[in-house]
Amino acid sequence: MPIQYYIILSLALFCIGIVGVLTRRNAIIIFMCIELMLNAVNLLLVAFSKMHYAAAAVANKAATEGTEGQLFVFFIMVVAAAEVSVGLAIIVMMYRNIHSVDVSFLNRLKN
Amino acid sequence: MNWIPQLLEIAPAANTADNYLPIAIQLIFAAGFVAFMIAFSAWAGPKRKTSDKLENFTSGIASHGDARQPMAIKYFLVAILFVLFDVEVIFFYPYAINFKELGWEGFFAVLMFVAFFLIGFIYIIKKGALNWED
Amino acid sequence: MNAIIFSALSGVAMMFTGIFTTNKSAIRNVAVIALLGLIIVNLLHSYGIFVVRVNTHSMLQFETFGLFFNTLVFAATLLFVLLSGKDVTNAGTYGAEYFALIFFVLCGVSILTCYNSLLMLFIGIEILSIPLYILTGADKRNLKSNEASLKYFLMGSFSTGILLMGITLVYGITGTFSIEAMRPAVSVGAPNYGILEPVGLLFIFIALLFKVSAAPFHFWTPDVYDGAPTVFTSFMATIVKAAGFVSFIRLFDARAIEMGISWKIILPVIIIATLLIGNITAVFQQSVKRMMAYSSIAQAGFMLFAVYVNNDMSKEGILLYTAAYSIATIGIFAILTRMKDITFDGFNGLAKKHPVLAATNAVFLLSLAGIPLTAGFFAKYYMLAAVVKENGAGALWLVIVAVLFAAVSVYYYFRVIQAMYFKEGEPEITEVSGGFKTALVMLAVLIVLIGTFPSALLNWFYF
Repeated sequence: MPIQYYIILSLALFCIGIVGVLTRRNAIIIFMCIELMLNAVNLLLVAFSKMHYAAAAVANKAATEGTEGQLFVFFIMVVAAAEVSVGLAIIVMMYRNIHSVDVSFLNRLKN
Repeated sequence: MNWIPQLLEIAPAANTADNYLPIAIQLIFAAGFVAFMIAFSAWAGPKRKTSDKLENFTSGIASHGDARQPMAIKYFLVAILFVLFDVEVIFFYPYAINFKELGWEGFFAVLMFVAFFLIGFIYIIKKGALNWED
Repeated sequence: MNAIIFSALSGVAMMFTGIFTTNKSAIRNVAVIALLGLIIVNLLHSYGIFVVRVNTHSMLQFETFGLFFNTLVFAATLLFVLLSGKDVTNAGTYGAEYFALIFFVLCGVSILTCYNSLLMLFIGIEILSIPLYILTGADKRNLKSNEASLKYFLMGSFSTGILLMGITLVYGITGTFSIEAMRPAVSVGAPNYGILEPVGLLFIFIALLFKVSAAPFHFWTPDVYDGAPTVFTSFMATIVKAAGFVSFIRLFDARAIEMGISWKIILPVIIIATLLIGNITAVFQQSVKRMMAYSSIAQAGFMLFAVYVNNDMSKEGILLYTAAYSIATIGIFAILTRMKDITFDGFNGLAKKHPVLAATNAVFLLSLAGIPLTAGFFAKYYMLAAVVKENGAGALWLVIVAVLFAAVSVYYYFRVIQAMYFKEGEPEITEVSGGFKTALVMLAVLIVLIGTFPSALLNWFYF
């Protein structure tokens, strides 16, 4: 499959994520949209990694090109997990105080 | 952009639409199975619409309250810690694949990683994050 | 490498200090000792002595500039802890953990000053940001703090997503994450890179602008700085922001050519927009804390000059700017945490009641405004001189605009001085100890010293 398909698919997912972040009002859903953006990036990284490997494997069967792309995916997943735990903790903290996860409540600082 | 499409076409195992046929069959089967089961049970099952029948029902206990009640904070804490410790294990996959090549140096690096991990675990136990009873 | 390892270990040590003792002064002492150790090991690294030898596979590359910047940041943190350590332990329930998080932030800073791979850029930014989300929300029962924390978190992870997309697009075209090896490795036989690479670089660029709060990506800054506990605002506005600029400079030192001519057009627009929004909005603020948030955006506009031109002078300029701006801002925020009323009126008549506080505060404000004989003057001077040196008379209009905005900034800084010296009032202030006053005077002396002999600091940079 040509690489363009992968690029278009991940860019589409990425844009869905961005639009979700900008339009939704529920903190949890905004958060899920951010995760969607990260996963679109993961998908694209793996596709590019495969592509670079395929290009290098023509000349050399034992090529190791593209492994760093997949390693990057691992790092993104781990950092995303750390972000999830901090983010959920913050959302729970806010829920305990105002009993809502709606970001429209976030207007105390606008003055 | 001309150079990009060629890269994948010269890959050792050609990636064509044919390769995805088994996945397509499986998808169709899965969707069809679910649709069939729902339709079949709706058609075959007896229908008695009384007010008692339509009420929510769990193990003979009368339902009360809202399902979306706030839960104790402990569940969230355990869930968050689980996510954190669960995903960190991902780094063992690349190590497992290159286990032999990395030798002792890699082993010590992984040992250090696990040690940091354990320090975090000791910290949350000492802080009492996993104490279920107050 | 010393600094990265040692700051991470100090963070872990601080976590366990919190388990073994709840004595606040003991916790502060451990933090101060760890910071001193951090400065020493970083200096050792500059002289080529390593605690542990690590093969970084050229993912990190250590240069004098980065190491010196580390020392500067660690020293500023030490001043911060000496001056406001009490407020850090009193900001919430977990005194020791806040110090641990500060050490983790410093670990992120030391990665950002020496990264050579986009992977390390990403990890450095995340290690820097994630502890900050927690510090922002440290005051758990305060709704403003909650709100700031959630806002910062959502905006921060959104910009991380954009950064990652940029890195991925650049990787797809060049096949490597190394910021130096990118170009030559693929240039053979593949002349057409398409539009993906400039787009990818633009994404990275936007994400970094987000982190350093430059217009038009500054909108989270006032809310977050206003809502966070004042001690942590002072840490965020100084140390973290400067680190963002150094990572920016490192990346575009190597990659500016690929952005092409558009780079030289976009950046002046952003600089002027940042200066405009920061300065003009700061004029209309009623709360000094919020005014400082906008003024930090305005100062970011000046610091962006070091990204725009890249020569020795701009590097010296950013070091001087970091030192001048951090010391002054840490001092002002330390006084602000002692005030009961943080509006301009709260400062009325401070000079009569607390002459030392008023005098030192005046020195800090003068330095931020860039009045000669204070450190802020030479910081601004070096930045503008670097622009003129690089681009000649063609960039003179940019310099003139910058100077005009600096003049605007004098207005709102002098409003505080005017309130302190020329207005009558009864300022309410919490107990201040003699040590606190001594530390403030030392900071003020430091500012005047740097302002009189800037070369003393900079000569040290060349060893």
